[in-house]
Amino acid sequence: MKVTGSFTLPVERKRAYELLQDPDVLARCMPGAETFTKIGPDEYEMKMKMVISAVQGLFAGKVRIADQKPPGQFRLLVEASGKVGFMKGDGVLSLVPANTSTGLSILASEGTDVRFEGEVQVGGTIASVGQRLLDNTAKIVIKKFFDKLTEIVGETEQPVGQLIP
Amino acid sequence: MIPQNFEYSAPSNLTEALALLAGGNAKVLAGGMSLIPLMKLRLAAPEHLVDLSRVPDLKAIREDAGSILIGAMATHYDIESSPLIRSKCPLLTEAALHIGDVQVRNMGTIGGSLAHADPAADYPASLLALEAQVKIASAKGERTVGMEEFLVDAMTTVLEAGEIVREVIVPVEASGTGVAYQKMVHPASGFAIVGTAVRLRRSGGKVAFVRAGITGLAGKAFRATAVEKLLVGTAGSAADIQKAAAAAADGIDANSDLHASAAYRRQMAKVYTARALMQALSRCA
Repeated sequence: MKVTGSFTLPVERKRAYELLQDPDVLARCMPGAETFTKIGPDEYEMKMKMVISAVQGLFAGKVRIADQKPPGQFRLLVEASGKVGFMKGDGVLSLVPANTSTGLSILASEGTDVRFEGEVQVGGTIASVGQRLLDNTAKIVIKKFFDKLTEIVGETEQPVGQLIP
Repeated sequence: MIPQNFEYSAPSNLTEALALLAGGNAKVLAGGMSLIPLMKLRLAAPEHLVDLSRVPDLKAIREDAGSILIGAMATHYDIESSPLIRSKCPLLTEAALHIGDVQVRNMGTIGGSLAHADPAADYPASLLALEAQVKIASAKGERTVGMEEFLVDAMTTVLEAGEIVREVIVPVEASGTGVAYQKMVHPASGFAIVGTAVRLRRSGGKVAFVRAGITGLAGKAFRATAVEKLLVGTAGSAADIQKAAAAAADGIDANSDLHASAAYRRQMAKVYTARALMQALSRCA
């Protein structure tokens, strides 16, 4: 299954790139993540509990970041399995400065569009009976991730688009 | 497969049921048409089931102050065979008739279907077109939300832990309204690949009122306001219908799965919306 989409983060590109590589941030954004531990350079082990409607599953897996080209691009590899099935994802995230300019040159336009394109494979019971809902489930998980990230950005970062003296 | 062990309670009144659910670990068992298969496949393993089938009054279908009130435990069969619903909000009769198969309609309930929030369920398209409301109850009290607000995303509603759907409130249909539900059925599951529910009225030779809801196309069913706006004020000719229906999938992130790609679903949404509009217009007084 192909997964593509984009989200806008209200921070400049360099900062957005740092946030997306920060294990603490990733741990907080990953929906249902219970543990998120570094096991090697750019490699993390995680346990997550997914709850969607009546279905819930515990997954254990690995997240790896590769092919880093800061501040514009990196590759994210995710592998997880649990009793109800397994999941493998491989995607490229591209960061592009968002054109949020209001037309006034004195307004800083420092948002960043994060575009992702990847391939997700799902197998096991969950794939054989839940095929009809996999697409939606993937969309929900990705949306939750970026919603949470936007929330974290809102807590810690300076707002952008403010007047530059 | 045999489900994992779970505790089972069958409370005999609503207060007791809500108290059991307030703990947070319990899951509601309504008709069980979605939950039991999930448990048998061990995709769901609730620790505690609270069966609502012995709670009195949750099945009632009655009329009060211009609305039809449908208890959450009313089965799809109760709804499709209710003379009150057939005469006062016939779109819902049609929606219920389209659900699954006879066995599912005999057991499955409107409250269970809404709380489960399958993106391809039949009721939401009609309930959106009907501008229905959902009454939610918990140990803390009751609240009522509009159908549009109730649906959050695929398999996700505004229901919080400890809350149940108590009743569905549907306004009594105005006379002269034509209604239709057109659905592309997935042959094995009976779910909608796409489905469009429409209500409309004419006045002075023009289409005066349109409400359309679409299910199956996106993560949740939605009101097709673009279609509604394009059709209102026109004569309702075949060309007007095609033009309005062409907007059915505008701005929608369509579902894609083994059964239908996103592009195919978008195209079918247009086709079935046109059919529903045409049928509803032909039924207008």
